[in-house]
Amino acid sequence: MKTTCIIVEDIQIAADFLRKFCEKSGLIEVKGHFLNAEDALEFLDEHKADLIFLDIEMPGASGFDLLDRLTYSPKIILTTSKTEYAFDAFQYNVNDYLKKPFTYKRFLEAIQKIQTAPHTPAAPPAATAPSADMDFLFIKAEDKLVKLKKDDILFLESMRDYVKFVTAGKSYITYSTLKNMEEKLIGQNFLKVHRSYIVNITKIEDIRGNTIYLQGSQIPVGKAHKEELVGRLNIL
Amino acid sequence: MEKSPSNKFVFNGSLNAAFLDELFEGDSIYAETVFEDFLRDLPGYWRQVEAAYQNKNMIGLRTCVHTCKTLFGYVGFTDLQEFCQEFENKCNNHTPEDLKADYTVLLQKKENAQGVIENEYARLKLFNQENE
Repeated sequence: MKTTCIIVEDIQIAADFLRKFCEKSGLIEVKGHFLNAEDALEFLDEHKADLIFLDIEMPGASGFDLLDRLTYSPKIILTTSKTEYAFDAFQYNVNDYLKKPFTYKRFLEAIQKIQTAPHTPAAPPAATAPSADMDFLFIKAEDKLVKLKKDDILFLESMRDYVKFVTAGKSYITYSTLKNMEEKLIGQNFLKVHRSYIVNITKIEDIRGNTIYLQGSQIPVGKAHKEELVGRLNIL
Repeated sequence: MEKSPSNKFVFNGSLNAAFLDELFEGDSIYAETVFEDFLRDLPGYWRQVEAAYQNKNMIGLRTCVHTCKTLFGYVGFTDLQEFCQEFENKCNNHTPEDLKADYTVLLQKKENAQGVIENEYARLKLFNQENE
């Protein structure tokens, strides 16, 4: 019996190669091709595929966002043209990682791996518990893993599919969502003060009206977050 | 028109021919399709690169170059693919002004690549017609 799959890939050439390789192998039946994570998730609500070929960077939600929202545990093969996502692939416990463009031989190796591997559900990356115990974290930026001491972080700013980490010396941009970072940082010295900002409350210098001032930056405070901000500050 | 004794299509020397041979496994008809798709898709994606650069949208620029990088890889421009990766990385913490020289080089490389693939596509079409 063939393994069923879907292809989640926004570049047509890459998707066509995958479909061709699946057909050539005789082992994989392609049930659908989707250009973005949302359409794929909608399909998967009704039709469970055994395997997902999943691109990472797509318009809208990323491949990792899709993994976070899966309601069952298919086999996952990540496809991307960057090697830096290998770390996330490991954390999500995916079955294999194919760097585009890949040959049929490499594709077959991945398929043979999933057919012989015991089923281990894809898991979301380790979230708050380990990070809460450490005073640092790693982010993927500048094609490497950058270590940031949490105490050096002034604030985080959402930039659509990216998050900017601002420290006193430098800013870093990583491919992620603020929601992801919120799960890793909130509850310590970090507080979401606006839909686009998380601040390190120990770095706040003063607050005037609905604006936080810290080391030359001004951060707006959203109405929905003001009460919690006031509650967290040690106001005499 | 270059033909080997085995009647196998020989890719242009400026491409990663060894990789393309492995990718297409001698299927010159499929290679023709892929090269055609590249020529069809690249202009649209490249317009997005130009727009992002003009608008100083560094995140958009990085995303669009990322897409073009993948396309270049599938037609054998593995060196250009690496160049695009370096450019993507620089988009994280450089301004458009900082990257002006790199962008100019990228544009030149893209123009060159497009020209090579246009010629290669024409060669493939002719080869496939002659070997039907």
